[in-house]
Amino acid sequence: MIQEINTEEYEGMGQTGPMMVEFYSKKCGPCKMLAFVLKDIDKLKPDFKIFTIDFDENQALKERLGVTGFPTMLLMKDGTEANRLKGLQQKPAIIKAIEEIM
Amino acid sequence: MNTYDVVIVGAGPAGLTAAIYAIRANMSVLVLDRLAPGGQMINTNEIENYTGTGKINGAELSMKMFEHTQELGVEFDYKTIVKIEDNGPIKILHSEEDDIPITTRTVIIATGTTPRTLGISGEEAYTGTGISWCAICDGAQYRDKNVVVIGGGNSAVEESIFLAGITKSLTIVTMFDLTADPKACDQLRAMPNVSVYPYQEILEFTGGDRLDGVRFKSTKEDAVERHIRCDGVFEYIGLQPNTDIFSHLDILDEMGFIAVDDEKKTTIDGIYSAGDVTSKKLRQIVTACSDGAISANAAAKYVDSLKAC
Repeated sequence: MIQEINTEEYEGMGQTGPMMVEFYSKKCGPCKMLAFVLKDIDKLKPDFKIFTIDFDENQALKERLGVTGFPTMLLMKDGTEANRLKGLQQKPAIIKAIEEIM
Repeated sequence: MNTYDVVIVGAGPAGLTAAIYAIRANMSVLVLDRLAPGGQMINTNEIENYTGTGKINGAELSMKMFEHTQELGVEFDYKTIVKIEDNGPIKILHSEEDDIPITTRTVIIATGTTPRTLGISGEEAYTGTGISWCAICDGAQYRDKNVVVIGGGNSAVEESIFLAGITKSLTIVTMFDLTADPKACDQLRAMPNVSVYPYQEILEFTGGDRLDGVRFKSTKEDAVERHIRCDGVFEYIGLQPNTDIFSHLDILDEMGFIAVDDEKKTTIDGIYSAGDVTSKKLRQIVTACSDGAISANAAAKYVDSLKAC
């Protein structure tokens, strides 16, 4: 499941279990290609929650989470960051990181 | 085991165009890429010199090319090829991801290039935190800050124009002079927050926990040494071919690029190469596409000759 959220929705949602929070920018090429890869991963793992957040429109949240560039994928488990992948990554590497927190 | 007529390694403009021409020549086609379609194009903010598209974002052009292959039914998969075995009329490809070999009659290598690094003091320590190779990805954090760009070619100048629009100051330090398209160089030099230091040797990146500057020295007689304070550095000093895994095939030139003839054929029957990874003078999207078309056409003729035997 891939869902676009903003800061308010991030703060308000329950963060139990494994999930990915991906910061992207509309003007970033690698982010667009990562979205393409994440859609493929979503077909393989439809139950895994992937939340995407616009880097430019959620400045305070990205600063609080220490996100300095995009794309950045935060692999979270029960609200705690377990791993962080920066930049466009290989599909198998992303799947491996997801499986490590499941 | 299914044997493809052609496996294309790399899904940049060369590989995707080869795929279009190959499938339209009735070949069975598989395109492999370690990341996602697009190659170096995805890191380009605005492409202005690809015929017929006007100004277009690199990722958008990548998706258009990829969608074109999908409309024609080209098979695509994510694989990092680590070895190609040449068994005469059959080639066997091995990937990093699994132990399942891929067999094919021909291979088109379109693996492109990756940015070169300087290999100087401080570079490794600040990679990812203060030194980057992608202005589009990491430029936003330097809004109203001081940035140095290293290099003077097309990529350096194009990315500098983008960065100068958001940074407080932009300093370009280059080994020679600016060598990009004259129009782009003029545009960059006219920006009020841009300084250019040509003919410099980069000595080291300085700082403590974080990068705080770049030290460089003039290569002219005065040999003046300077230390420019900055918050971030972007390097654009050329490209190196992604050919390490093909060195055993003896198809590389002295610079590590793949040597090809007019039909994009290597010294091995059935192995072709296209795009930036080949020995050539002009590495552009349009020339990569041209290479892709030529290589697929030649591969199709070769496959026909194999099947006729």
